[in-house]
Amino acid sequence: MAGRANIPTNSSALIAIIADEDTVTGFLLAGVGNVDLRKKTNYLIVDNKTTVKQIEDAFKEFTTREDIAIVLISQYVANMIRFLVDGYNKPVPAILEIPSKDHPYDPAHDSVLSRVKYLFSAESVASDRR
Amino acid sequence: MAAATEELQFLGSIPGPEGAGEVDGAVAEEGRPRGGDNEEILRFMDSVDGYLLLMDSLSSALRQGWLDLASARHSMGPSRVSSTLFDHKEQSAATKLQVVDRDGLKPSEPKPHFALSKWSLQEECHSTYDVSERAFTEPKMRHRGSVTTPENGNYESANTTASSTGADASNHVQRARSKALSVFGGLVSPKLRTAQLSFETALDLIVELANSRSNMLASFSQLKE
Repeated sequence: MAGRANIPTNSSALIAIIADEDTVTGFLLAGVGNVDLRKKTNYLIVDNKTTVKQIEDAFKEFTTREDIAIVLISQYVANMIRFLVDGYNKPVPAILEIPSKDHPYDPAHDSVLSRVKYLFSAESVASDRR
Repeated sequence: MAAATEELQFLGSIPGPEGAGEVDGAVAEEGRPRGGDNEEILRFMDSVDGYLLLMDSLSSALRQGWLDLASARHSMGPSRVSSTLFDHKEQSAATKLQVVDRDGLKPSEPKPHFALSKWSLQEECHSTYDVSERAFTEPKMRHRGSVTTPENGNYESANTTASSTGADASNHVQRARSKALSVFGGLVSPKLRTAQLSFETALDLIVELANSRSNMLASFSQLKE
């Protein structure tokens, strides 16, 4: 079982959110918000004062916490830390890029779809034939 | 139709009949069964199509939620619908996920499956479901002088238990929803309630998206080989 991802089976896990205020407010209304004993939350509200470093730190924290199974991140925020998001390849937590009010979803920038679309590019077919 | 077009545009050009024939020829030469590869490719394409359709539905649900939230903010005032009201006291999320680890095509490739547990309902349902199940499995006692037959009597009590279980679950959900809304005050706009429902729908779609992503990556890793 060496190299197997550590997935907590049949246990309760949280959904983390890195998004704008309205998106976070909406999901908190749906009961997703969690605050632990150390006052750590499972969400980060991104506004014009939020730095890239804060977003990076939140992304790293949420992807390393064992009690988080899905990380929702607005696609425009994911674009600010694209190298981190594209470099992430664990099955859990699952990273889902979601649209925001001002930035509709663009499948060309989605990290998961970018990873798989090379399978159908002309270059990969040509290299396989060689 | 639009999602299918978007998918083809996103994936770029797909080899024409000559190209496909050459690729198939190359696969056959390597000794791999052609049918298996085609099946895997179809499965992969289906998962990508499903992913894009779900993303489209999610966008619609989120748009409705944002609109309702904006309407609620307009009627209640911006200071009453704001992130500054969020409670930073210790609290557990009412809506959580259950993660089941299913083996992918290889034991070293885990394929997680996500299930949503809204408003801690699964825990409540399990505790009350056991009561109704017990009513069916208990030995049927003969009641002397009773008008109803033992089976009917037990069946009616089980039915009553099941219906009260449903009512209990519904009450629990309503209480949980009201608690989430209470962050914004005692009296809230009906638009805030509809926003809450829209985001709950979005959560269902997000869990389906996570499962679709998991299937897509599993098919992709199979195809890469």
